[in-house]
Amino acid sequence: MDNLAKQLRTDAERIECTVSEELDERIRASLHGITPEQAAAAGTRSKSFSFWFMSSLTGVAAAAAIIAIVNLQSPEPVPGPVDTAPVAFNLPKVQWKAETAVLTSPLEQEIENLQSDLKKAEEAVKQDIDRLF
Amino acid sequence: MSNEAALIAAARQGSATAFTELVHTYREGLLRYLLTRASSYADAEDALQDTLINAYRYLHSYDPRWRFSTWLYRIAINNISKLRPADTVELGDLVDEESDPLQHCIAASDRENLWQCARRQLSDEVYTAMWLRYVEDMSVNDISAVLNRSVSWTKVNLLRGRKTLGAVLNKDATDKKSKAYG
Repeated sequence: MDNLAKQLRTDAERIECTVSEELDERIRASLHGITPEQAAAAGTRSKSFSFWFMSSLTGVAAAAAIIAIVNLQSPEPVPGPVDTAPVAFNLPKVQWKAETAVLTSPLEQEIENLQSDLKKAEEAVKQDIDRLF
Repeated sequence: MSNEAALIAAARQGSATAFTELVHTYREGLLRYLLTRASSYADAEDALQDTLINAYRYLHSYDPRWRFSTWLYRIAINNISKLRPADTVELGDLVDEESDPLQHCIAASDRENLWQCARRQLSDEVYTAMWLRYVEDMSVNDISAVLNRSVSWTKVNLLRGRKTLGAVLNKDATDKKSKAYG
């Protein structure tokens, strides 16, 4: 443990606080008046499951009945021949005007310097982090 | 099954006594943290009570892959952030020493408590990350889970917090030396 970590721990211990008997009583009383969510949810879960199951069953039955009625009433019409002539698209021709960017040598040098500085800074931070954690 | 796991199982079945025993060891640490974030001792106590009530109520959502303290801190941080702005100490702002509950609870010393400096100089989340790391001994993974941040974010911000507080500590040491040498 380094000096800063020791100091932080010591200073936290210097913050004097205790859970008073009054607060302890308050917490106990509130906890006894509460039912954890899971215990309360157990009853509703079984109810909601049966409700979900019955409604699914009703839905499936209704869908099956509708499909049966539709199939019995009208035979599916046979589609006639379709004209599938290809459609020609006339795409407009785009004329690009591109020019190459010219970088002057001092600017290129500047970028290279900045990139190498950035790399060095990144490596320093990574080393610091790896060393600490 | 460990004692903690047995208590959690019993509390999930509705035993408030098991839950009280379960959280007994964490209460003081939580109160100390909440005290550094609330504007009065009473608010910190209320926040602790709310935290424990919420933890008991939603115990079914606790994932045993995480430490129990990690989960409790997450609830505590949510609770303190829900308090109305006047009830919480805005970290980074100067606090009126007369009304600052932390000021009354700190044992007298020849130098300022580092956590008071931290409150002034660090952001809310970095302060919490530092507290969890150096007071609660939490791992970086646990801290990132509590703060709902990535592991790399946590690492970088812990480093920033260390640098800031390290500078304060070094300055104190230099001041002492210069006083000693006149």
